[in-house]
Amino acid sequence: MKTKFTRRNVLSKVGGALFGVLTFSAARTSKAVVQKFFVSSQAPKGYDPTKHRWQMAFDIDKCIGCGHCVDACKTENQVPKASTYFRTWIERYIIKKPQPGSDRLRGETVVDSPNGGSGGFPPSMVPREEILKSFFVPKLCNVCEHSPCVQACPVGATFDSPDGVVLVDPNYCVGCGFCIQACPYGCRFMSPVTHTAEKCTLCYHRITRGLKPACVEICPTEARIFGDLKNLTPDDPILKFIQNNKVQTLKPNLGTEPRVLYAGMDKEVR
Amino acid sequence: MSLKMPPQIVRLVLLTITIVVVYLVARSFLTPSSFGQYAWYRGDALEEIASRQPVFAGKKACDECHSEILIKMAKFEHKTISCETCHGVSKAHGDDPDVKLAKFTDNQCVRCHLSEPAKPKWMKQIEPKKHYVGQRCTECHLPHQPNEVP
Repeated sequence: MKTKFTRRNVLSKVGGALFGVLTFSAARTSKAVVQKFFVSSQAPKGYDPTKHRWQMAFDIDKCIGCGHCVDACKTENQVPKASTYFRTWIERYIIKKPQPGSDRLRGETVVDSPNGGSGGFPPSMVPREEILKSFFVPKLCNVCEHSPCVQACPVGATFDSPDGVVLVDPNYCVGCGFCIQACPYGCRFMSPVTHTAEKCTLCYHRITRGLKPACVEICPTEARIFGDLKNLTPDDPILKFIQNNKVQTLKPNLGTEPRVLYAGMDKEVR
Repeated sequence: MSLKMPPQIVRLVLLTITIVVVYLVARSFLTPSSFGQYAWYRGDALEEIASRQPVFAGKKACDECHSEILIKMAKFEHKTISCETCHGVSKAHGDDPDVKLAKFTDNQCVRCHLSEPAKPKWMKQIEPKKHYVGQRCTECHLPHQPNEVP
């Protein structure tokens, strides 16, 4: 058997292949269009990501370290209960008194976060009389303007959405873990269930339905403030927060420009 | 004048064209249709992430039936607390009022009001071992109106 490479033969085969490819892509596009209109999705209808800009802020002077936010986040987002997986967590900063006779203003800083603060904090190992001051710092994804995680992702699975949330596309993530290494705030983890990177989504499924994120909803002291910068009301909590507080961000020296704001933060907080 | 290219060049050109065409065809097949809708990512992912169902119902949902409690609460220091902070996930109860909520215990009070140096000074804190041992919190304090005595 010998294949005949005549001009007519080759041209007709190439033409057929080209036609097939074009028909296939046309069919694929039309299928996607039809699906968009006829297949009902669970996603909230009428939500336009370009008309919102979400903003998260923390008031450290209000956080009591009850850990309700950590538990609420785990419940809402089905985060594994193990003590190594967190979308949000609380850190306890303890600044000790300086050694007697030293010319220092403050002593050693001890930071702990037993089980991320889930279920409340147990008494610290540092005795009360040695503590100069102590406070809680809630943490979650800092939603950076220049996110190192987005830059590190080789497949375009993590991205900065038009409404200002850094998200992970679980169907597109290959689980390489570069973003977990890239995040200077330690806000990402590899899910043991899906084996893809996971992180705080600011409860994207809630905010698109007009609800607050689970941690903000559940916080008993309003230490977590959340708002939409494109739809501000005159007495919006986020507006009041920025007017009444001196705000700063975590690790500003890295140039990631986090959007999450903190008020009442001490210089020890990293 | 002869325009005929040497055969090895023709083959190289043909091979290059084939590789480019194969690459373009493969890319059009492998790239999801919504990739690049907003930027260098799959635009459909936004909708997929948003399609997860909320677990916590939110204070507004409680307000639909229990507004009188929320109006009372608004005068007291516990006004900032969401219902589900103490009563637990209440979406099932909201959909079907016959479903009872989790039982409220003293642990709920102690979790926030336990004395701890890291807590801010304005927070009212107690040592459970020294503060009326053996009595339940609700014997003296009303959770919805913390400043009133029953």
